[in-house]
Amino acid sequence: MSRVEGLKCVLGDDTYRKIRNAKVLLVGAGGIGCELLKDLILLGYSEVHVVDLDTIDLSNLNRQFLFRHKDIKQPKASTAVNAVQSFNFFKTKLVPYQASIYETDLFPMSWFEQFDLIFNALDNIQARSYINKVALLLNKTVMESGTTGTNGQAQPTFPYHTECYDCLHRETPKTFPVCTIRSTPSQPVHCIHWAKSFLFTSLFSEDDEPVVQPEGKDTGELGTDNQQEIANLISENNELVELKRSIASEDFVDKVIAKVFTKDIENLLKISDLWKTRKQPTPLEYNNQIKEKVLKISKEEIGTGQREWTLEQNLKVFIDSTLALQKRIAIEKEIEFDKDDEDTLNFVASATNIRSHIFSIPLKAKFDIKSIAGNIIPAIATTNAIIAGFSALLSLKQFDESYENRIQNSKAVFTVSNSDKFVSPSMLQSPNPKCATCSAVRGVAHFDTSKTLNDLLGALQSTYGLDEEISLSLGSNLLYDIDFDDNVEKTLKEMGIVDGVLLNVADETDKYQSVKGGDLKLPDIKMAEKPPVEEKEENDQDDEEDGVELINDNDDDLLIVDVKEATSPDKRKAKAQDYDDTHVTKKPKTDSEIEIVE
Amino acid sequence: MSSLLKNRLQEERKQWRKDHPYGFFAKPEKSADGSLNLQSWTAGVPGKDNTIWENATYPLTITFPNDFPSKPPKVRLPAGFYHPNVYPSGTICLSILNEDQDWRPGINLKQILLGVQELLDTPNPDSPAQEPAWRAFGKDRALYEKKVIEQAKKYAKAG
Ligand SMILES: [Zn+2]
Repeated sequence: MSRVEGLKCVLGDDTYRKIRNAKVLLVGAGGIGCELLKDLILLGYSEVHVVDLDTIDLSNLNRQFLFRHKDIKQPKASTAVNAVQSFNFFKTKLVPYQASIYETDLFPMSWFEQFDLIFNALDNIQARSYINKVALLLNKTVMESGTTGTNGQAQPTFPYHTECYDCLHRETPKTFPVCTIRSTPSQPVHCIHWAKSFLFTSLFSEDDEPVVQPEGKDTGELGTDNQQEIANLISENNELVELKRSIASEDFVDKVIAKVFTKDIENLLKISDLWKTRKQPTPLEYNNQIKEKVLKISKEEIGTGQREWTLEQNLKVFIDSTLALQKRIAIEKEIEFDKDDEDTLNFVASATNIRSHIFSIPLKAKFDIKSIAGNIIPAIATTNAIIAGFSALLSLKQFDESYENRIQNSKAVFTVSNSDKFVSPSMLQSPNPKCATCSAVRGVAHFDTSKTLNDLLGALQSTYGLDEEISLSLGSNLLYDIDFDDNVEKTLKEMGIVDGVLLNVADETDKYQSVKGGDLKLPDIKMAEKPPVEEKEENDQDDEEDGVELINDNDDDLLIVDVKEATSPDKRKAKAQDYDDTHVTKKPKTDSEIEIVE
Repeated sequence: MSSLLKNRLQEERKQWRKDHPYGFFAKPEKSADGSLNLQSWTAGVPGKDNTIWENATYPLTITFPNDFPSKPPKVRLPAGFYHPNVYPSGTICLSILNEDQDWRPGINLKQILLGVQELLDTPNPDSPAQEPAWRAFGKDRALYEKKVIEQAKKYAKAG
């Protein structure tokens, strides 16, 4: 039996025919992506476009099986595509892109429209969230997948019908209060944050906003009347700024040690109230004698950092890494912390441990500090393979006859390592009515950006029956509300309502407050000939119209307007602003309909 | 930017516009194009009457991070502000503004500003953020009060 016959037997003639005509997007060619690409071509998909910005790193080779040692530094997308050619039995057309999926120049909304399905094989929340928004905008099914260690999950998301990626409340990464980090650490993780986000950032990076905001950076704003007190207060920070200025000097590392591990701790001890209920820190004892002893420690003694270092060994690593960073900063100007950059990791690991020692906190091996500081989640090849397999299998349901059937027949699949059943299916959940992303009604319309904000307000009011108590905003910029009408005479273009920006229109009358769960039912209307704003404009329709996307939020009648520029079909090409919510599509005029969905 | 952030900031503006306590103000900063940046506000908190903080309105800047309301906003008084729980940079050490303590995503601008007003006259000596005010508050109350009253004159209400 030929491979084609075999595949037909497995899939059935109908699904076989459909899959041989299906064009899909695979976002990510990493751990899950490599597995999924293999699965998709073995299922006979007609065309797979693969997007990944990354290049191959040594650390990928243990699980991203399409890559070999010789591929290091090569783009993941094209390398993966070349690697699968040897078993591309069904002649799947493969198109790789080494690019960021957020690049709206390269990947405008119109580009996403060509795909029957989107497979996510991503490792970060931001990109998943972005694809989620694209899918909601274009009403595309996304095959979502993800793994953490032995836990994994694969499931389709049907826009507005099943829960979207943002429906689940996602924990934001933990940060710690300034007070704990700066004065009263009690866990290794506090010292890691201090070393990475405060000390390292202050000395080697120009970053204005370290993760833990060091207080006292804005000394320029000081009042002049109580200068004396202030001078005393801000000295700790000023000294660090001062230290940074002497970064080229030979005794820089000694100065850093003397300040951050000794003097600052002595100053902290003076605030006796801090230590009433806590164990007092012990300032580091560091002098020439100790220094000599430390400098004699050999590279062999330090090792690779799998086991814990002694205090002296930490000092040795701290001195060596500081010297290395000192040399580099002369050329590089600023250095970002990167867990794979040995100098930065050594600096953070040793500074963490010295500080931990001072505060009687257990020391950690560099290896452990690396995973905490780098927010590393272990990736396991087997879990990736299982989850990618399920993602591919679940995609077969997307060729069922009706949309309802596809939803009905689809499942989420997840793996749990600590139960006797490793793989479990579950029903797809309904959208979370409180989800800020998908609990909304959307539509598309058009207008001319040389009109004023007033024109737009009038059009929105007359079309949707809103009164003047509405607000207009772009992202977190408020353009208009009833107490802020400074801009009403300005043109939409002047206010930044240009190609592809998302404009929020919110009703502020509380009229709909009691109406929950999207009961403000805008009908499923199509208004290709009469987009709402165009009605207001008599004779100046031209090819440069803009699309509007309207979204209704569950408690506030929030509308989001996605401005799209429409041109004739042969001019299908796009450009865009580059932020998160920005989409630009030059669409053929026939596409320019309003579609308001729940 | 997340939809949650946008929706929430619009809500903050709307709530404040419709209802805010007497003597307080809060407004988003104006951007170059004339729009208002809802992530960056300036505000004024009046000192309570019959306290050493009275007859002054203390200026604040409020910055809403991208992960607001999961994370609290950053609220600052002017750098060098004299108060035991205010860092030299002006950052306020207040439990409701601390993610690991009492911050809850439901806390709104009005509650934050009322919290700051409350903190002015009831400092927390267990949470020192600067030395002079903290030391004086504990050991030399007369000096402390003198400094606070001087500072109140600096921020005295116009008229
Ligand atoms: Zn959702």
